[in-house]
Amino acid sequence: MTAALSTRALVAGYERDLPIVRGVDLDVKQGELVVVLGPNGAGKSTFVKAIAGLVPIHSGATALGSLDITAVPAHQKIRHGLAFVPQTENIFGTMSINDNLLLAANILPREKRARRIAELYAMFPDLAARPSLRAGQLSGGQRQMLAVARALIVEPSVLILDEPSAGLSPKIVADVFARLKEINANGVTIVLVEQNVKAALAIADRAVILVEGRLRHEGPAATLADDPIVAELYLGARREPKTVTP
Amino acid sequence: MNPQALMDGLITGSMIGLGAIGVTLTYSILRFANFAHGEFIAWGAYIALAVSSALGYLSGGLLAPIGPFSFGWSLPIAAVVAVALTGGLALLVDALLFGRLRAQRSTVIIMVMASFGAALTLRSLLEFIFTSKPAYYTKALQIALPLGGGLRATPDQMLSLGVAAVLVVAVHLLLTRTAIGRSMRAVSENQQLSGVVGIDVRKVVRIVWLLGAGLACMAGIMAGLLVQIRPHMGLDLLLPLFAAAILGGIGSVPGAMLAGLIVGLAEAFAVQIVGAEWRAAIAFVILVLVLLVRPQGLFGRPE
Amino acid sequence: MSVELIGYGCFFLTMALTYAIMCLGLNVQWGQTGLFNVGIAGFVAIGAYVSALLTTPDTANRFGGFDMPILVGWLGGAVAAALIAFLIGALTIRLRADYLAIATFGVAVAVQLSALNLERITGGPFGIGFIPRPFGGYAGDPLLFSLFNLGVLIVVVVLLYLALERLVRSPWGRVLRAIREDETAALALGKSAVKFRLQAFAIGGGIMGLAGAVQAHFIGFIAPENYLPMLTFQVWAMLIVGGSGNNRGAILGAVLVWGLWAASASVIASLFPPGQQARAAALQIVMIGVGLCAILLLRPRGILGEEKVVSRHLGKLPRALRPGTKPETPKQ
Repeated sequence: MTAALSTRALVAGYERDLPIVRGVDLDVKQGELVVVLGPNGAGKSTFVKAIAGLVPIHSGATALGSLDITAVPAHQKIRHGLAFVPQTENIFGTMSINDNLLLAANILPREKRARRIAELYAMFPDLAARPSLRAGQLSGGQRQMLAVARALIVEPSVLILDEPSAGLSPKIVADVFARLKEINANGVTIVLVEQNVKAALAIADRAVILVEGRLRHEGPAATLADDPIVAELYLGARREPKTVTP
Repeated sequence: MNPQALMDGLITGSMIGLGAIGVTLTYSILRFANFAHGEFIAWGAYIALAVSSALGYLSGGLLAPIGPFSFGWSLPIAAVVAVALTGGLALLVDALLFGRLRAQRSTVIIMVMASFGAALTLRSLLEFIFTSKPAYYTKALQIALPLGGGLRATPDQMLSLGVAAVLVVAVHLLLTRTAIGRSMRAVSENQQLSGVVGIDVRKVVRIVWLLGAGLACMAGIMAGLLVQIRPHMGLDLLLPLFAAAILGGIGSVPGAMLAGLIVGLAEAFAVQIVGAEWRAAIAFVILVLVLLVRPQGLFGRPE
Repeated sequence: MSVELIGYGCFFLTMALTYAIMCLGLNVQWGQTGLFNVGIAGFVAIGAYVSALLTTPDTANRFGGFDMPILVGWLGGAVAAALIAFLIGALTIRLRADYLAIATFGVAVAVQLSALNLERITGGPFGIGFIPRPFGGYAGDPLLFSLFNLGVLIVVVVLLYLALERLVRSPWGRVLRAIREDETAALALGKSAVKFRLQAFAIGGGIMGLAGAVQAHFIGFIAPENYLPMLTFQVWAMLIVGGSGNNRGAILGAVLVWGLWAASASVIASLFPPGQQARAAALQIVMIGVGLCAILLLRPRGILGEEKVVSRHLGKLPRALRPGTKPETPKQ
């Protein structure tokens, strides 16, 4: 069964001679909700940005299903069904909520656009309340919702989010994560980069831990929360790098 | 106070406004002040001149003035061709110079410096081809008709104002109501996010160049029709263009047009007081005032 | 024959060195501080006119003519230009980089226009003549005169070069460099970036004013048409070709580009019939414009490239701390 999203020996970084992601293999099964954890500077953000096409890939490959998308330009990836929600600046603050959604809907065939936007307004009634409001005036949680809504318009097969809980209060985080769980239940494969380990593990199926650009551990989310290895990797205790058994 | 200054101000202002719209669009989407924008104005005027003359040579009838205007059909036809060719020129300069510098991730300053060099090259090329002797689309003189209130305007002037108004409305509608306009606004706000949501930024860049150069071409034809055509006509408008773009707020099309009118009117009224030889300094004064009082301009966002 | 050649050589080199002074001033603004001045011609003009007004004898229908010594004129020109640079800098320094560019462009336009229109002060389109030349007493012996003038210029350039090199390596210069390379770190140390940048901009402007003054006294007369955007463009071309960020590059670039300019002018002029000389001049500018764009594309560092002064003076850093080395990774 082909993975919904996979990477092979991915090496990536902003500068050619300074790779931040140093050879990561990842397979995300269809319908999974995988969370990418790791200490600060581990390269989690860079990893998903490389998959999304925002950070140059030096070597290795990424694939969406059976399609190799390593060389596909960033703006084309979404057409293949890979949607990305960046951590900061993930909506167009100077444009209205409706314009934000119209923008995203533009790659859909004309007949589907209006219907899809209506469906998303139904899913996110907060946004439907004032569609002509400038997106920059939304609260942090609402912005996150808009960013997710925007990503969902194209009915992606894989949704990647970079630290969606950043800057949000615990209650809002719970709301956002509950939504993500819902979306995942509807069949969208989700990859989540997160610093908020507890909240993330609560909704994830599986977690992988990135340290210094390498994948150092992975396991089912349920058991990982209590695994001492998590603390060790986060606190950077010196130990032999563990080989990852597939 | 001579009411004719009002008409002069509106005319100059609308030309400055059309040019400023192009400047503000390229500035907000390509992120640098393009010192070569004035040359699109000049090249637009000259290309139209060349095409119009060629058409007139092929068929003398095309030179016969249409109705109350001073020009024949050769000019509108030439204008359409010129807009396309000037757009092509902008794409060429981008492909050869700016695009390559962007690919090298050059800083803003290198881009501006390059635009300065490109401006000089383009201007001197015009001088080389056409010499600095002033040229005209038509030798027909026009009588200014009274409009009431002491104002007089020639039919050419009225047409120019009308065309400018239509263009501004069209551009505004393009930006606010169409998909491509939304894409342009998105790229202007956040280029990276635009790629993420599926916008082909390179395509948007090409369209911005075409649009900006096309507007500049129209401004140049207007200036050439109402005043004269000279290789330095773009350079002379450059400071007012920038002043208007900054006064209007970078990225705002209505702002650019409004500011263009303000600059034009300010020039027209100020020269009544200090004399025509100081015309070029008015834009500078406006620029300094804007930077002192409200650097983000009328409709711009504070940085 | 050889006397003429030496005479021409002196003239050529002297002019080139006046441009070198402008380049050195631009290097302080751009190479060291990263500020983009598109109005060099304006600052040069200010220096030239102020110096001329201070040192020429009194004339009936013109303000000025204080008949002061040449050095006073030069100093006055430099200070005036520095002042205007400071004001314009203060206006735009907190804004985007290209706002400064546009503002300085405006200054050049305004200065040139003022020079043209304020006839009572600047002599209008006719400019100011009879500007006292250094070693004016030797005017009768052209060769000696040219040599003396060249000597003066060499002294000025060398002194300026030494002073600027000192400045770059001084604590002030190091702060400037730090601000340019990592502003956040510099700010954390409590250094006001704006203050330093403003000082650098003013100093650069003052040097450009000095260049204008020196040039004015060398040629003997000035007019508004000497200070067009072309001048700004020439100086930029010189600095970029020679190597921005580098004082030696500034001087080299000035001499080189001045030489290329003069050479290409005469070559092109010879290819065109007398009636088409204006066209020839235009073509020359086209070529230089293309050349500058080519350099920006292919080797924006210029010939001598950017000088990493600070790193050179920190001595040998431990291997791990040297910029550009990859962090060591444990062998897998």
